[in-house]
Amino acid sequence: MFCYQCEQTDRTGAVLGCAGPVGNCGKDETTSDLQDLLIHAVKGIAQYAAKARALDAPDDEAATFILYATFTTLTNVNFNPTRFSGLLKEAMAVRDRVKAGYEEASLARGLQPEPPRGPASWAPAEDLDGLMKQAADVRVDAGIDVVGPDIVGLRSLYLYSVKGICAYAYHAHALGHHSAEVFAGVENAMAWLASEPSDAEELLGNVIGGLGELNLKVTELLDAANTGTYGAQQPTAVRVTPVAGKAILVSGHDLYDLHAVLEQTKDTGINVYTNGELLPAHAYPLLKAYPHLVGNYGGAWHDQQQDFAAFPGPILMTSNCIIEPHISYRRRIFTAGPVGWPGVRHIANGDFSPLIQAAKALPGFKEDEPEQLITVGFARDAVLAVSDKVVNAVRQGAIKHFFLIGGCDGPTPGRDYYQELALAAPKDTVVLTLGCAKYRFNKHDFGEIGGIPRLLDLGQCNDSYSAIKIVTALAEAFDCEINDLPLTLVLSWTEQKANAVLLTLLALGVRNISLGPTLPAYLTPALVNTLVERFELRTIGDVAGDLAAALEGARP
Amino acid sequence: MTSVRSSAGETALAYPMTLVTSDGERLEFDCASDRNVLEAAAAAGAMLPASCRQGTCGSCCASIDDGEFELGTYSELALPQGRRESGHVLLCRTYPRGRLSGTLPYSGSKILYGAIPVREAVITSMETVARETVRLELSLEPDEETGLDCQFDPGQFVELQVPGHDAKRAYSLANTGNWEGRLEFFIRLRPGGLFSTYLQDHARIGERIIVHGPQGAFGLHETGLRPRWFVAGGTGLAPLLSMVRHMAEWQEPQPALLVLGVNEDQDAFGLSELEAVATELPGFSYETCVWRPGSPKQEPATPVDRVTAHLATATVKPDIYVCGPPPMVEALAQVAAAGGVTSEHFFCERFLPS
Repeated sequence: MFCYQCEQTDRTGAVLGCAGPVGNCGKDETTSDLQDLLIHAVKGIAQYAAKARALDAPDDEAATFILYATFTTLTNVNFNPTRFSGLLKEAMAVRDRVKAGYEEASLARGLQPEPPRGPASWAPAEDLDGLMKQAADVRVDAGIDVVGPDIVGLRSLYLYSVKGICAYAYHAHALGHHSAEVFAGVENAMAWLASEPSDAEELLGNVIGGLGELNLKVTELLDAANTGTYGAQQPTAVRVTPVAGKAILVSGHDLYDLHAVLEQTKDTGINVYTNGELLPAHAYPLLKAYPHLVGNYGGAWHDQQQDFAAFPGPILMTSNCIIEPHISYRRRIFTAGPVGWPGVRHIANGDFSPLIQAAKALPGFKEDEPEQLITVGFARDAVLAVSDKVVNAVRQGAIKHFFLIGGCDGPTPGRDYYQELALAAPKDTVVLTLGCAKYRFNKHDFGEIGGIPRLLDLGQCNDSYSAIKIVTALAEAFDCEINDLPLTLVLSWTEQKANAVLLTLLALGVRNISLGPTLPAYLTPALVNTLVERFELRTIGDVAGDLAAALEGARP
Repeated sequence: MTSVRSSAGETALAYPMTLVTSDGERLEFDCASDRNVLEAAAAAGAMLPASCRQGTCGSCCASIDDGEFELGTYSELALPQGRRESGHVLLCRTYPRGRLSGTLPYSGSKILYGAIPVREAVITSMETVARETVRLELSLEPDEETGLDCQFDPGQFVELQVPGHDAKRAYSLANTGNWEGRLEFFIRLRPGGLFSTYLQDHARIGERIIVHGPQGAFGLHETGLRPRWFVAGGTGLAPLLSMVRHMAEWQEPQPALLVLGVNEDQDAFGLSELEAVATELPGFSYETCVWRPGSPKQEPATPVDRVTAHLATATVKPDIYVCGPPPMVEALAQVAAAGGVTSEHFFCERFLPS
C-alpha cells in the first residue's frame, strides 16, 4: 500500500504517505491496492473510450462508469474490498465493450484499429493474492526511480484532481446532467495519464489549464443540475436542534438521494435531518418544501462518530465522507452510491425501505430541544440579487473586505486557524463560506452590515461554481480583476475535490490563495516553489499576521 | 477437561497487556496475576468476544506473541494441542506472569465497549424440525433506548437465560439482523441439559426470556471475491444459515456453497430455509450429506469427504466457514490446509455441549 492522496496522510516517516497495513483514513492495504488497480483499469477504459469518441462513436455508459469507479477511490468514500473486486471485473467488461466499439468504428471508417499501449491491455489476476502482486506495479509512485519525485508529484496532482472532477461530474450525472464535453474531458485526461507523461512543463500546463478549465465546466454542469432540479438556493433559516419524533439522518453530498429519502418518507411521521455537507439542501425550494425535512444535526464529517452514536435513528451516507462506523451505530448506518464500508448495509437500488423500517423501529428523539436557527442559502442567485446593495456598502466603506473561507474541515488542530480567522475578522468585513470548514464557526452570530449578513453560507464544496460566479460578478461590478478585489481567499483542503477547485481558481488567474492547514504530501519542495512563484500560492500563517496583511491591502 | 496447570499465583501483581486486533487496533490494559485476561479487559471496559468463559467453548481463542503466563484448566476440544503449541490460548484461562502481548483474530469492531446488552423477549414460536431439534423464535420487547432494533452480525450468538435461573446458555442466531425484534434459533435438545429441559417441559408461547447479547466474533470476512464455503455439522447450521441469508439479503457477490452434515436422515433440518436462500442468492448452492443414511441406495458421506472432493477440483481457493462438533472442525482444518486453504481463510466455531 502506498497512498498520499489526502491531507490526513502519514507524515511521520522519511517518505510522506500511508504505507502501513492501514492508512490514516482507515483504508486497509487490500482496499488501497485494489483502488490502485481500479484506477489502472479505468485508464485502460479511457484509452479506448477517447479513441472511440474521437471517431464519433462515444460510449457514454463507459464514461459514466469511469466517473463512478473513480469516485469510489476518493478519500473516505469506499473501504470495501469486495466492492472493488467486483468493480475490477466490471471494469474489464466495460473495457472490452469499448474496445469492440472502437475497433468497429475504425473499420467502418476504413481505418486499421490501433490498440493503445499500457493499461488498455491489462488483465487482472484471478485471485486476490495475484491482484496484490499486480498492485505493486501500478501504485501512484510507480516509476519514481526513473522519472524522479517531481514528475511523480505532478502525475499525482493530475490524477487526484481528475478524481475530484469525476466526483463532481458523477453528482451532476445523478441528476441527469451530463455533456459530451465533460465525458470527453475525463476520458482524455485518464488516457493521457495512461501514457505516463514525464515532461514537467507539459504536466503543469495540463494540470492548471486542462484540468482547471475542465473542472470549471463540470462544476457549472453540477450547478445547473442542482438548481435546475431543485430550484435556486434561497436564504433559509435552518433548525440545528432536534424535534421530538422518529428520525433519519442523511449525510454526504448527494441531493438526489436526499430527495428520494424525503419522497419515500412522506406521510410516515418520520423526520429527516441533514448532516455535514447536506446542510445547503434546506435552501433548495423543492427540497425545503418537504415539511418533514426538519433540520440539520451534528457537525462536520470528522465529528460523525460522536454525532452518529448520539443520533437515535438510522443514518444514510450518500457520498464522501464516511469514517469507520463505531460499533454503537455500525448496524444502523446505511450507504448509497459510491460509498461502502465492510459490514455496513449498502442500498444500491434507491429503495430506502430498510432505512425507513429502521427509523420506525428505533426510538427517535423523545422531546424537542430549544429551537436554534442558522441561515444558509446564499448561493449566487441570492447574493447577486442584492449585489447593488453589496457594491454600495463597499463603496461607502461599510464593507471593507471579504474573506472567502472555503473547503473541508478536519480533525487536525491546525484547522483552528479557519475558525479563529472567521471570528477575528473585523465587524466591517464579510465572511463568505462554502464546504464543511464552516462548521467551526457557522453557529456564531456574526451580525450584519446594513441588512447584509456578515456570514454568507454559499453552500457545499460542490457549490464552488456559485462562489466563482459571485466573485466574478463583484469584479465586474467594480470593473477590476478578481485579484484586485478586497477579497482574501483562504482554502482548507482535505481531499481530491479541493484539488480540482484550486486548479480552477488558478486557471481563472486568481492569485494569492492561502492554502492549509498543510500542503499535499505529493508536492515536492521544487513543485511548491514553482506553484508559489507562478501562482503566488501561499500557506496559511498565524491569524493575526494574515489578517493584518489581508486588511492592509483592503480598499473599496 | 484437561488440567494443565493450576491457575493464579499467590500474589496479585498487575502486568501490562497489549492486544492487537486483526485491523491493527491496540488494546492496552493491566491484568493482575490472579485475574484472567478476559476479566481484566472487561474491567478496562472492553468486552472481548467470548462465550462460556470457563475454557470449554474456544470462542475467546487468541495468540500470545510474547510474555509469560499460566493457563488454567481448559477443554482440549476448545483448544486442541496443535493450536496450543502454535501459541494460541483461551483468554478466559490465561493468567499473566509478566508483560504480555498478543494478537486477536478479529477486527476491533467485534469488541464491545461497555456492558453486554440485556433485552427481554417473548417466545413466539417453538416447533420440532428434526429429531431432538427445535426451532425457537423469540420476539424482543421494545426497548426505550433501542426500540425494536435487533441488529447483529451473521455468525453471532446470544445467551438465553432460563426463567427463574441465573444460568445462561449460548445459542447462535439463525436469522439476520432486523428491525422487528425477531430472533431465530435451531436448538439441539440434550438429555438433562438445562435449556433443553426448560424447552421440553416448561416453555410456553408468550413466556418471557432474558437475552444477553449479541456477542461473538465468528462472522463473515471481506476478502474480495473468493468463493465462500460453509460447512455445518447438525445445529452448527444456525450461524452459517445466518451468513448465507445475510448474503442473500445484501446480494453479496461471492459464489457460495453450503454443506450440511447430519448423522441420520431424521436429523436433517433447515432445507426449506436453504432452498429459499438458493432462490434469492445467485451463485449459491447447498448439499446435505448423511453419515448413516437410511436407504442402502444412498452413499454414506460426511462434510469432510465432500470438502476434500470439492477442494481437489477448485480452481480458486475458497474461504471456509465451519461450525459443528470439534472433531469435525479439526478434521476440516486439516483437509483445508492440505488443500491449500491457509489459516487466514479458515474460520470456525466449535459447538460444545453445555
